[in-house]
Amino acid sequence: MRYRCPVCMYSQLPYPPHDYHICPCCSTEFGNDDANFSYKQLREMWIAGGANWFFGRAPEGWNPWMQLLKAGLSAYVPRLVLDLRVQSNVIVKPGGIIYSGPEFIVRPAA
Amino acid sequence: MLKTYVCAACEKVILTADNVASLISLFNKIIITAPPEAEVPKNAVAPKEWAIFSIFDTEPGDELKEYTHFAQILYPDQSQFSEIAKSKLRIELNKRAQVNVQVPAFPIGQVGNYTVRVWIEENQRTVVGPIEFKIELEIIRQVHKAP
Repeated sequence: MRYRCPVCMYSQLPYPPHDYHICPCCSTEFGNDDANFSYKQLREMWIAGGANWFFGRAPEGWNPWMQLLKAGLSAYVPRLVLDLRVQSNVIVKPGGIIYSGPEFIVRPAA
Repeated sequence: MLKTYVCAACEKVILTADNVASLISLFNKIIITAPPEAEVPKNAVAPKEWAIFSIFDTEPGDELKEYTHFAQILYPDQSQFSEIAKSKLRIELNKRAQVNVQVPAFPIGQVGNYTVRVWIEENQRTVVGPIEFKIELEIIRQVHKAP
C-alpha cells in the first residue's frame, strides 16, 4: 500500500501522511508542519524553495512538475512558454499526389 | 506473439465507445516560443497533453499471456524524463491490443531530439521492441519589439 503526500503529491509514501512521518520528497512532517500551515501553504513554500527532492536520491526521472500535473495541480507549474506548436515532417511535393499501393508513390502533377 | 501495428506520438486520441481510435495531429517536432531572456530550467515542462499510442497485432494464445507495456521518454542527453509508464496489456482473442499512454506535459529542459521508447515484456523478458522514435524540440526566443 502506497500513500500520496497531500502537499507535493508524491504518490509512493510507504506510510500514511500523519503520525510524524516525513515525506521524502517535500520534507513535510505530518502532525507537526501541517499543524501550523495548510497543505496549500506548505506546497507553496516547497515550490518557492525550488521544488527539490528532500531525502536521499530522487527516483530516476523524478520531476516535481509532472508530479503536480498528474495530480491535477497544473496551476502550480511555472509557465515558461509563450507559444507551443507541433509539426510533422511529412512532405508532399507541390502538385504531387500520394497514392497508397504496394509502395507510396509520389506522382508529379501533369 | 505480438507484432507492432502502430506506435506514434500525437496530440490527442479519440476513442469511440467500442475503442476504435482516431489519432489527432501526429507530430515529431515541437516548437516553443519563450521570453527573450527567460532561463529554462533543466526540469522545466510545458503543460500540454499528448499521447504515445500503440496498437499490437495478436495471435491465438496471446490472451493467455501476461504482457506488460512500457513507455519511456529520454532527454537528448539520454537521461530519463519522468517515470517509465508501465501498464498491463489486456488481450482478447482475435483482437488487437492497444495502449494509450497520456502524458500531461512535454519536457523542455533540453533542446534537441528526445527519444520515445516503447517495449513489451513477458515474465520480465522483452518480447516486443524496443521501438524508438524521436521528437525534436526547438526553442525560439521572442523578439523584442521596438516601442
